[in-house]
Amino acid sequence: MNNYKDFEVKDWLEDLKFRRWVYQGESDLFFKNIIENNPHQIPVMDQAREILLSMRGELDILTETEVGARVSEIMESLPGADLPHFQWWKGNWLRIAAMLILALGIGFGLYKKRGAFEDIRFSLAEKVKPRKVKHMRITNQTDGIQLVNLPDGSSVVLKPNARITYPDRFENNKREVTMAGEAFFEVVKNPSRPFFVYAGSMVTKVKGTSFSIRANEGDDEVKLVVKSGIVEVSAIETKDIQTGREPKKLLLKRNEQVTFNQKNKSMTARILSKPVLLDLPVEKQDFEFKRTPLSDVFILLEQTYGVVIRFDINAISNCTLTAKLGDEPVAEKMDMICSVVNAKYVLRDGAITVISQGCD
Amino acid sequence: MSLIPVKHSEILPEAYLVTRWRQFCTGDKSAFAEITELNYASLYHYGTRFTADRDLIKDCLQDLFLAIWEKRESLSDVAAIRPYLFQSLRNNLVRRNRRQSVFSEISGNEPFDDISPESDWIINETDQLTSSRLRQAIDSLPKRQKEALYLKYYENLSYDEIAVVMGLQRQAVANYLQYGIQKLREQWHHAAVFLTFLSSFFCF
Repeated sequence: MNNYKDFEVKDWLEDLKFRRWVYQGESDLFFKNIIENNPHQIPVMDQAREILLSMRGELDILTETEVGARVSEIMESLPGADLPHFQWWKGNWLRIAAMLILALGIGFGLYKKRGAFEDIRFSLAEKVKPRKVKHMRITNQTDGIQLVNLPDGSSVVLKPNARITYPDRFENNKREVTMAGEAFFEVVKNPSRPFFVYAGSMVTKVKGTSFSIRANEGDDEVKLVVKSGIVEVSAIETKDIQTGREPKKLLLKRNEQVTFNQKNKSMTARILSKPVLLDLPVEKQDFEFKRTPLSDVFILLEQTYGVVIRFDINAISNCTLTAKLGDEPVAEKMDMICSVVNAKYVLRDGAITVISQGCD
Repeated sequence: MSLIPVKHSEILPEAYLVTRWRQFCTGDKSAFAEITELNYASLYHYGTRFTADRDLIKDCLQDLFLAIWEKRESLSDVAAIRPYLFQSLRNNLVRRNRRQSVFSEISGNEPFDDISPESDWIINETDQLTSSRLRQAIDSLPKRQKEALYLKYYENLSYDEIAVVMGLQRQAVANYLQYGIQKLREQWHHAAVFLTFLSSFFCF
């Protein structure tokens, strides 16, 4: 199972999770943790990393926008719409075309007045940008906790009545969500796409961490406690209009709490002995397992995240897990567990179904 | 709450992809669009290993996806989707090259290895490889070995899937991979001097 400390170069090369770390930067905390606990592994991991990078060779990647454009091109050159299915690409182009015609009309009107033309070009550029983003809004109407999986794989645990709004796909350079109520976040590490949480008049910026927020509507205060990583909080305005100064920012580490006053935008920080704000099981859980029966692991995850995990108790009766899972989102935790016990899982309609061949 | 599509094809559960593939085979255009979108970037990257001609790769990809749409009904028994797409792109690139090779006088004997005369399996100078010896080592490997390593370690394909993509026997794939890894590791021992310098990379 998890005998990383004895790994040789070839073991690292064969380790899918390690490869994803090298190539995609996933599970960064997990591997930093391994390095910290096993410094003798550094040269071995280094060698494996170099070999993997040499296998990949020069990185020549397309942006999401470019891929999107290519796909549209392909979809448009398909022979006639012979089957009446949902055609998202058409609706979108129609809308853009309609906007263009409208904009041209306005442009022509304004052209006679010259001066206004410059300004309109700016707003036009913004509007013509292909937008097929749909906003999802989820409110936990149950009595218990509810798990929300974001499009980037991050997890949010909502307490009753808490609400989150997010796009069905995040932008290329940032991930933005809006929330109200009480929630716990586990954010997928991705330094090139910072993750922003807007709650009341406070904005929180992270790159990949876990933390709790309490932002109940009507309250004067928003509170945030960090479970892992580093979090940056500030007031929502970008600049103080009168003084022209940037708003004050506060950096918080593990076990630190900030209280944000919505009225005067002041922030007070303090250190807690435990990173608990909302009294959620997930805040206290360190996910450390030693030869724990897999069914117990699943039951713990169910309770911690309020998610249903379906599994065949007989099939996994011989499986145990020894691992420290840390603060990865649920999907990453499941990836990891499944790679260790040689199983597969499907996440659908908020429930996880595990298919396992069993363990020896 | 419903399933939210994730961008990287690797994160999506296999079962979901298989379902979408089946829907595509029965003529579902939204499933087809999603399959195209999920696989485009990695197929493109694979294409850049063969040729520096980006437009050629894009043309081949367009042909590939239009072709699979045309014959969608006959594709419902394709079990391994990604290997099938990789194999098709490879064949497309090779076929295009044969046509071009009439003019550029490339020998037709081992066409896979010489699709573009100037750059195949490019390892760029700007890549962050700290060990130049390792770069030399990978450059010195036969192209097919490099390709097998790429498919196994970067694209996570199995031996059988690589065999399908490259049109080889499974055993040949195993040999390529074993020999390739061995060569790269040997090279490392020569480059051991760099180690202390490199390990600073991890200490932040």
